[in-house]
Amino acid sequence: MTALLETKGIWKRFGGLIANSDVSISIGRGEIVGLIGPNGAGKSTLFNLIAGVYAPTQGSIVFDGEDVTPMTAAERCERGVGRTFQVVKSFETMTVIDNVIVGALIRTTVMREARRKAYEVLEFCGLAPRANILASQLIPSEKRRLEVARALATEPKLLLLDEVLTGLTPIEAQTGVELVRKARAAGVTVLMVEHVMEIVMPLVDRAIVLDLGKVLVEGKPTDVVRNPKVISAYLGDRHAVGA
Amino acid sequence: MDTAFSDRRRRDLLLAAVFVVIAALLPLFVKDVYIQNIMVLTLMYAALSQSWNILSGYCGQISLGHALYFGLGAYTTSLLFMKFGVLPWFGMLGGGLISAVIAMALGYPCFRLRGHYFVIATIVIAETALLLFQNWDWAGAALGIDIPVHGDSWLKFQFARSKLPYFYFALVLACIAWFVTWWLEDSKWGYWWRAVKDNPDAAESLGVVVFNSKMGAAAVSAFLTAIGGSFYAQFVSYIDPESVMGFQFSLLMALPAVLGGIGTLWGPVLGAVILIPLTELTRSFIGGSGRGVDLIVYGSLIVVISLARPEGLVGLFSPRRREIVR
Repeated sequence: MTALLETKGIWKRFGGLIANSDVSISIGRGEIVGLIGPNGAGKSTLFNLIAGVYAPTQGSIVFDGEDVTPMTAAERCERGVGRTFQVVKSFETMTVIDNVIVGALIRTTVMREARRKAYEVLEFCGLAPRANILASQLIPSEKRRLEVARALATEPKLLLLDEVLTGLTPIEAQTGVELVRKARAAGVTVLMVEHVMEIVMPLVDRAIVLDLGKVLVEGKPTDVVRNPKVISAYLGDRHAVGA
Repeated sequence: MDTAFSDRRRRDLLLAAVFVVIAALLPLFVKDVYIQNIMVLTLMYAALSQSWNILSGYCGQISLGHALYFGLGAYTTSLLFMKFGVLPWFGMLGGGLISAVIAMALGYPCFRLRGHYFVIATIVIAETALLLFQNWDWAGAALGIDIPVHGDSWLKFQFARSKLPYFYFALVLACIAWFVTWWLEDSKWGYWWRAVKDNPDAAESLGVVVFNSKMGAAAVSAFLTAIGGSFYAQFVSYIDPESVMGFQFSLLMALPAVLGGIGTLWGPVLGAVILIPLTELTRSFIGGSGRGVDLIVYGSLIVVISLARPEGLVGLFSPRRREIVR
């Protein structure tokens, strides 16, 4: 089976700064892949290149067998790329369900249908009891879940999660982990950027480690955490025993 | 919860019907021509502010240059009638369409601007248009156009003896603007607009084509505003650039919505019903010596509202929303 997402030799330059250099990764259908790396490794840039916020300086992105490199974020959403934002971007003056309806409207223009769908997604994400309050009234962890709900309402094939678990209490993070598992069980492929290794590692099938804009290592999470290169990237060479 | 939502939609519609009936019956009790005049203006500004609210309230693109579309409507109707003998009814549609096209042509460069820069651009463009019209000889330049009135005629939409036909037409206009808003509010466009207003980046990530949403809002808003302008030209039967394209019209369209509740269905109506009679009355009773008392009234109202109830006066009527906020 072909990969759902493939980046082919992607480069991204911001002036003199090279944020991504020659990044080629591939995500299979139904996988949960973690994108990790120390601060400034280029995770967010790669994430935004896949979501269509930036255009790569060089290289191409193939999604679901189609070259999506020149497409806008909205066009990619239509093709099945859903995303969340690291700094939550709720529609604050709209109710929770209205936030999700905006996402649902890309698949249907019948309002009754969009509303029903949005409510379903809210139930899926455990936000149904909060459906009719304003998004600005949600607590931070609920706002994160609303981000996920909104993205799921667009019926994505690939869900891009940008640090949705960071900064949550352990119980909240556990709820988040279960939500990601449920999404995968429903047939969604997940690529998640995360900082917190101990939460991500048990969840993902595969981890890709970026460092200094390049793919450093990829593989099974258990192997990746023991890899001397990874340890040295995170903690410095001194700690990389056996490197 | 689905039923609660459609209940609210139906209640809005019912409420609107009740208001229309009350408004339609008002002339039975109000015979004073001066008061009737104020009623016509109130309805007209309700319609205009409702139109402004589509672009600036729902879609969040604050325009302080809507006088341009108002003036274009007035001028198109009058010029078509005077120069080519086109009946105002068709002139109205023509003015609406021209305004919609111009709004999109202007939107093409301007919608790349965000926030204050967009507002400034709208003011500059409207002022430029005002200057152009003041110097355009074929369109009457600064002297304007005097529309000859030959007695009452539905065909030419002229009524010398009575204000009532204007009143009922303004009522229809307000109804149309309200109904269009009501209908768009629960449509893909309505949701897209509000998403664009709240967060364009997030909207884009959910498949909203931000640029097209703004263009759509601008076109609908300009079309309805121009119809209002056409009506005004017929109502006063004399137009010149300053009296239909002056900056004060841009303000008078924005203020009722701001006062009543920006981006809400009922805000513009509520705002117009309070603001227009108030300013007209202060102008005639306290005015005289000091022009500008009406402006002081605007100013104070806006200050009071922004301090006490920033979401607008409609906030007073939705206790449920307030519970939610708490």
